[in-house]
Amino acid sequence: MANAQTIARKPGRGLLVFKWTLLGPLFGLLLFILPAFLLQLYFSFHSWTIYLGSWWDAEFAGLGVFRDVLTDSRFWWAALRSLIFASLSTLGCFVAGFALAMAMHRPFRGHSLFYAVFILPMLTVPVVIAYTFEMLLFQRGPINGILSTILMTNVNVTWLAQPPIAVFTVIMLEIWNWTPFVFIIMLAGLSSLPPELDEAAQVLGASRWRIFSEVQLPLLRPVIMLALILRFLEAMGEFPKTWALLQGGPGSATETVPVYLFLTTWQYFHISRGAAMSYLVLIFMILIVLLGIRLLRREKQTIDAIHAKPGAGE
Amino acid sequence: MKKAHVSRRKFLKGALATAVAAPALLRAGGAKAGPEEDRIVKASKKYGKASLNGMMWALYWRNYPRLNTEFKGLTGISMDQVNDVPNLLIPQRAMAEAISRSGKFDIFHVESMMIPSLVAAGLVEPLDGYMKEAGFKLEMVGNFASFMKYQDVTYALPTDGNVCPQFIRKDLFENPDEQKNFADKHGKPLKWPETWEDELEIMKFFHRPDKELFGFGGLRDKENSSFWYWMYLYSAGGFPFSDDAEPTLTTPAAEYAADTFLARKQVSHPEAAAWGSPQMIPRIVEGKIFSAQYWDGIIARIEGSPTPTTGKWLYGVPPGSKFSGRLIKRAFSAPVMGLIVNKLSPRKKQAAMWSLYMTTAKNSTEVVAHPTMTFHDPWHPVHMTAPEVEKVYGGKAGMESIRKSLLVTTPPPYVTGYQEFKEAVDKNLSEAYAGRKSGKQAIKDAQEEWGKIVKKIGKARIKKEIPYYKAMMPKMDVPT
Repeated sequence: MANAQTIARKPGRGLLVFKWTLLGPLFGLLLFILPAFLLQLYFSFHSWTIYLGSWWDAEFAGLGVFRDVLTDSRFWWAALRSLIFASLSTLGCFVAGFALAMAMHRPFRGHSLFYAVFILPMLTVPVVIAYTFEMLLFQRGPINGILSTILMTNVNVTWLAQPPIAVFTVIMLEIWNWTPFVFIIMLAGLSSLPPELDEAAQVLGASRWRIFSEVQLPLLRPVIMLALILRFLEAMGEFPKTWALLQGGPGSATETVPVYLFLTTWQYFHISRGAAMSYLVLIFMILIVLLGIRLLRREKQTIDAIHAKPGAGE
Repeated sequence: MKKAHVSRRKFLKGALATAVAAPALLRAGGAKAGPEEDRIVKASKKYGKASLNGMMWALYWRNYPRLNTEFKGLTGISMDQVNDVPNLLIPQRAMAEAISRSGKFDIFHVESMMIPSLVAAGLVEPLDGYMKEAGFKLEMVGNFASFMKYQDVTYALPTDGNVCPQFIRKDLFENPDEQKNFADKHGKPLKWPETWEDELEIMKFFHRPDKELFGFGGLRDKENSSFWYWMYLYSAGGFPFSDDAEPTLTTPAAEYAADTFLARKQVSHPEAAAWGSPQMIPRIVEGKIFSAQYWDGIIARIEGSPTPTTGKWLYGVPPGSKFSGRLIKRAFSAPVMGLIVNKLSPRKKQAAMWSLYMTTAKNSTEVVAHPTMTFHDPWHPVHMTAPEVEKVYGGKAGMESIRKSLLVTTPPPYVTGYQEFKEAVDKNLSEAYAGRKSGKQAIKDAQEEWGKIVKKIGKARIKKEIPYYKAMMPKMDVPT
């Protein structure tokens, strides 16, 4: 009480405390993160390979390392694979996660049990997923066995040995692993929709499909955008499953940017090259985030405009 | 004092009892150090006690605790902290130590092919001085000791030979019906394969995927492909660099090696492109493979304990090639694991002594002959005839195949930047194996990538290393 009175008597001090409450963690964060960024920046402008000398003796290369990376076809191929992997797995996670959220939106008997089961894959360590599926995906393994039973024909797919199928397999594993993430976000989005709109549409005789496509979906657009962006960013960085299962193979079929980055930095020990690559990926990710923020803002403006219309929300 | 009367009968009884008990006592009494060990202990004492911190995979460490305790009792030096890191990750951790220069780690248990890069990074302590001081002589079968050296300086002490002898299914190969069928089909008797072409012909005959029997069981995944490729290349008289450090991966010998590598696809399991040892070893042990060049530890796995194929394998030297005009047989050893000492450690002297003690003929025999854990494969001439090692590896035939294979064993490129050179070949061969490009294109692309790597590392450096890499090659064409 006394403190509140003191602060009330000295408004300047209260403002100072408030300022530092915000600035303190920010400075702390900068101190924690900034050195790594600055070192990374230093490395990317110098030519340093661990076994060829110490980092402080590394030759200044200007933009040379960035030029090397940008003219490296292997990097661009890896980037293309990452984009394909991230796009398809994001789409898959979204479709499956949204479908599950729709199914789980209304409470039913055993709802909690299903909820717990559906989020389990997300709680499993990716490397464990990789090794478990490695056993399940053998040609004479359980997955082919189950498919053979269901399809009533002998399924002999080599899930990890053929390049296009291996790519498909890691995409499917990513979808299996991260569908719960989209499921949780979409379920939260669906739960936040005002039930009155749904009920009003029903009273007016709208079909389920019309309610979904014309009422729920437009209102869910910001949530959908958020789920897609977060998932895409996460998928662009996927490494543990791809590495544990295939090390980028067969050949280079699953050599995505994180795999190539790991090889460059920690197998070839070209730290500068790895740092430059990381910066380029960071810039790309920032662009995606900015684009996402812009889209989210536009969605919000659209929804605000709907709410601002006379009679809306009454 | 009464003079004890020893009759001739009593004397003979005593002598007989001593003769019977002595070997057992010597074997069981590992605590009793021999002269080599005594010298190391004596040399160690002047450096004082030390608590060492090492990096070694638990599967390897498992064979050391008894010797570690023994050395601690004798010198006060012991490995008290062991960071359990799998082999494949230790090079990265060692390089991280080279950057941090913390001196926290004393010993790294690492693949010897990393020595040039780790020496260049300033991490590795030369061991010749310590060896001389302790009167320790590094003895390895054939020319194998060169794997532990770089530019004539010893930088590592071996723990695991990891050579790949030839495995052929005895029950099928020696089956009279199979022999008759083979002779009828090919117009010649079924014989142990002398060349890669012979092996392929025999593998094709025994390749019966409908019966879950596959002709070939070598690895073709991205991580391991090149090991087999080097063996094919060297046996064809090829070498991957010119004396001027120019990559020579598009020579006729290199093309032959790529073709030999890819030809085995027709007799391999369809999933081989994605299989490493965790998948292939069970297939070999269960009898689903007819022929393979595979790591010698599997012999102990098969013969040391009952498995579906115990006693059903023939072991020998891998086939060779007459591509160069004469028959050359080559095996491969990789990764050859060794103990390296951190140059930056304040306890490096004690660490060097600890490593020497673990590597003596007697102590390494105990390590290699561990009855349950056979990650440490034989490398010392003494291992080849030691009864306890022979027992673990199921008898003389297996040991003889290891000894002979070691006589013609070869390394992957032993130059700075090894991992990058290796990966370029692995990647391109793996792409060819997956049908993405031809063998010719694969080696052409690898050659191009190698050219860039040489440029990055520095031609002068590689050029200087090539004579030493060449000197690691076996001194004989065919082992005897």
